[in-house]
Amino acid sequence: MTATLPINRRPFDAGQTAYLALNAALLFFLLAPIAVVVVFALNPTPYISFPPVGVTLRWFHKFFAGADFMNALYLSLWTATCVLVLSIAIGGSCALALARGNLPGRGWLTAFFMSPLMLPAILTGLALFQSYLLAGIGRPVWGLILGHTLIAVPYVLRTTLAVLYNFDRRIEEAAAVLGASPTRVFFEVTLPLIRPGVFAGGVFAFIVSFDQFPVSLFLVVPNGETLPVVLFNYMKYDLDGAIAAASMVSILLALSVVLALEKLIGLKTHVKL
Amino acid sequence: MSILRSISRRKALRIGAGLAAAAAMGAPAILHAQTRTLKITTWGGKWGEIMKATVLPAFEKEFKCNVQADQAFPFMPKLQASPRNDPLYDVLHTNSNEQWGALTEGLVVDKISVKDVPNIVDVFPYAVSDKIVGVSIFTSAIGLGFRTDKGLAKPTSWKDLADPKLAGARGGYIIPVNSLGQAHLMMLGKVYGKGLTDLDAAYRALEALKPIKLVDFTGQMEKMLLAGEVSMGVIHDSGVYRYDGTNQPVDFAIPSEGVLALEQVLNVTPGSKVKDLAFAYIDYMLRPNVQKVLAEGVWYSPSNKKVKLDAKYDAKLFTTEAKVAQLIQPDWKWYNARKDDIDARVTKILRG
Repeated sequence: MTATLPINRRPFDAGQTAYLALNAALLFFLLAPIAVVVVFALNPTPYISFPPVGVTLRWFHKFFAGADFMNALYLSLWTATCVLVLSIAIGGSCALALARGNLPGRGWLTAFFMSPLMLPAILTGLALFQSYLLAGIGRPVWGLILGHTLIAVPYVLRTTLAVLYNFDRRIEEAAAVLGASPTRVFFEVTLPLIRPGVFAGGVFAFIVSFDQFPVSLFLVVPNGETLPVVLFNYMKYDLDGAIAAASMVSILLALSVVLALEKLIGLKTHVKL
Repeated sequence: MSILRSISRRKALRIGAGLAAAAAMGAPAILHAQTRTLKITTWGGKWGEIMKATVLPAFEKEFKCNVQADQAFPFMPKLQASPRNDPLYDVLHTNSNEQWGALTEGLVVDKISVKDVPNIVDVFPYAVSDKIVGVSIFTSAIGLGFRTDKGLAKPTSWKDLADPKLAGARGGYIIPVNSLGQAHLMMLGKVYGKGLTDLDAAYRALEALKPIKLVDFTGQMEKMLLAGEVSMGVIHDSGVYRYDGTNQPVDFAIPSEGVLALEQVLNVTPGSKVKDLAFAYIDYMLRPNVQKVLAEGVWYSPSNKKVKLDAKYDAKLFTTEAKVAQLIQPDWKWYNARKDDIDARVTKILRG
């Protein structure tokens, strides 16, 4: 005699199903463009075609063998690295001053430092370009780096301020009571605690600089163009898989930076990105 | 005792040798300071490759100068933002419509004379016509590109693009940002109305072309044709001929009403500090040997009548008086004066 065991089924939950469906749709919306890029980068045809007719690495070869692409990639990485350092130094310092400095008009100052995000980046680029030319300094690489830093500082400022506002100041007071000098308190208590916020902003700064197009458009010089500018110009003439291969490389590089910082600093244990 | 007497022969030789060494070390810097720089705009892609690999190095060698070639768009806003007495570019290379815009703002000179650019005597009349500001060094022909594997007859008229069978499979441009689209709009006025300036007829004809796939870059139209996303589209001949010999099922048709000229125009900025070098560059670009290299590299029709192209290129490009007679040059000055209104109207038509 066989007995049928009752199946312990959970009742259908329409709300949860709708929630999961919405999440799946959002994930699909976010990941679908990347999937298209992957397909295009590996497809041998010199145009976007679906379904793909095969798999090739020729576009990656074209990208890595192209001197223009490589020079641009190097410049973009160099610029983004400098911007990362500068924006951490400037944005972190500003955040500390705003959160701890008891400055008059703190709200206004915060708005002022965040203002580069309000202005369309293309106008920032044009304004910087004109200012540099009028000042007679041309378009040096450091001018490009400063332009990117201007856009990137608000990201560091915002994430650092978020950490500072949630900061338990009693820890600093305890250190001071135990005899630590203000400098020691800063380097051994404050800085380690705000570091995740500063570096989270630094990650954004790096990515914002690496992908920066509108500001770079006006500030790059002949034979000294960043990767997004080179890709834009390339696309006007040759819309082939090399563009997708370059995009893949960019995505992987950005991902590597985030993963490296996560590994080194453990961002997710401190802040929610 | 004088100072001169106090310097021994050995010491004098040492000082002399030191000065000579210092002079030798400083010489490259002095030479560098004397090397002039010509700042130009130029295209990217295959054109840019040829320019960087052969054309520009040869010019630099012959004229003992450096050429700084900017391939990064947009050229016009950058030129507009730079000081007039020290412009960002000495030579502006754009299509004809942008040169007219530049002239209106005083960013380029209005005419280039034979005295400044002697090779102008050998160009076809269209290259220096009253529709051109500066000098056209090459031209492409805007006509119809089509797929040869879709059972379509080779188009003979611009009206063939309106064939109902091509609904959703015809290609055009986002007119406000693409000069091929702007030229096509004027051609619609000629084909369906009283002439290139008959905008009402052009708007009606544009409405009848819907549904139509639109792109902003000319290169995208090539790819849409290759991918089969469009079966017929407005395109310049070089955008199709460049796939010659690659077994792609695409071809170019010259409609009976004529083709529109898409000129590659060079002009000099009035505030250039190296104007003589700028004119020399334009003259150099009109030399038959330079024209041949670029024409055969990118399938552009050369402006210089004396250029002898290989048979394959000569058969298709506009290299004779009879062929050149098929080229229609739009009046860009007229178009630019109405551009804002036209942009608003066509955007409304194509969005609707």
